[in-house]
Amino acid sequence: MIPDDAVVKCVVWDLDDTLWDGIALESPDGTLPTPRPEVLELVDRLSARGVLSSVASRSGPSVLAQLRADGELAGRFFAPQVAWHDKSESLRRIAAELGIGLGSLVLVDDNPYERAEVRAALPEVLTLAPEDAAGLLDLPALDPAGLTEESRGRVARYRDEARRKEAEETFAGSREDFLRWCGMRVRLRTARPADVPRIVELAARTHRLNSSGIQLDTAAVRSMVEAPDWFLPVVELTDRFGTYGMVGTAVVAAADPDAWDVRLLTLSCRVAGRGVSAAFLRWLLERAGAAGAPAVRTPVRIGADNMELRLLLRQFGFRAEQDGSAPLVTFARATDGPLPEAPAWIECEYGAAS
Amino acid sequence: MTSAEPRDALEQEIRGLIARAVGVDRAQIDRLPADTPLFGPEVGLTSLAGMTLLALILERYGVDVALEDLNLDALESIAKLSAFVTHHRAD
Repeated sequence: MIPDDAVVKCVVWDLDDTLWDGIALESPDGTLPTPRPEVLELVDRLSARGVLSSVASRSGPSVLAQLRADGELAGRFFAPQVAWHDKSESLRRIAAELGIGLGSLVLVDDNPYERAEVRAALPEVLTLAPEDAAGLLDLPALDPAGLTEESRGRVARYRDEARRKEAEETFAGSREDFLRWCGMRVRLRTARPADVPRIVELAARTHRLNSSGIQLDTAAVRSMVEAPDWFLPVVELTDRFGTYGMVGTAVVAAADPDAWDVRLLTLSCRVAGRGVSAAFLRWLLERAGAAGAPAVRTPVRIGADNMELRLLLRQFGFRAEQDGSAPLVTFARATDGPLPEAPAWIECEYGAAS
Repeated sequence: MTSAEPRDALEQEIRGLIARAVGVDRAQIDRLPADTPLFGPEVGLTSLAGMTLLALILERYGVDVALEDLNLDALESIAKLSAFVTHHRAD
């Protein structure tokens, strides 16, 4: 029923006769029905394993307003959709709002028609009847033993991000004023053995700001962290809304006296557009220069999905060393010569432990 | 092309697209000479705003800068970008 290799980032719940018994719009006193305790418990257990919950209900706008005003429900459900249109459309909106792929959504709905409609329009979405939803806890990928600290904290970070978005939308002032007000602190330091699982996870999960797209092997990364020929820096971010944990990393072969070879440079798309990538790359170039490397080079996969990374390299004056016919093109620049200014709204700390 | 030459219609349009991508008033971009670097402090293009700009150029002129310009030299300045689009646009 639930494939073992299912990727689940968000469970989308129907409301009437799924989250609660009965139909909200037919409630005699106009209040929302009481949610089923076993469903709320499942939402919380999934949340502790890094799985978000959302809502797709075919009902009236008053139900959405009540849901948002309900202290017990509002914080549990992200990007809730209550509207009369097809549920497949609601799922599309949830995926877009949360910035996750449709294939990582699961619909839980008591109504076989709704499940069939979603399966027909979006075959990549898993659909479950309410009585089968608890089986999600048995997925190997959600086994608590294998979860990183980052995965466990994922739902809390989405909550922080939702507050940040709301603040940005209502902020009176320029975007730069907003970024200053956020109080961003970036910590740049060398990786420790405890960072290895998150480094491997970042390499596997990031696409937009990912240079070469190479996958990392846990054992290999563990030995690189200890080896003097390799330099593995990590980036951590906090702001007034909370901590984002490790949002970026790089794998640098530092033994060649002619150039540092950045085999992988990657940052989480959650921090895109906030100057963190520029602060990271600037620091990396300074470190290379300070270590005596006259140049930095990095292989880049040429594709549409990591275009933003190429723009970052362009901003920093990197040039291609060969033509664009190969799948990986090496870009390079000298470590001397001017670097773009670091974003003025970011406070950088170096080397300190997290 | 230098800043002393008269601005053609295409460059005027591209100044508008740059202002949209960076999220500043059009007048702020109109004041700048054509050889102003896009990634410099006056324009303040970032990697994310650059994505928006390339998408606007593709939509408006059918020119895929990313595909045709490995080093993204077209993003050097307002003038360079205008010249690149002039040269590559489908008529």
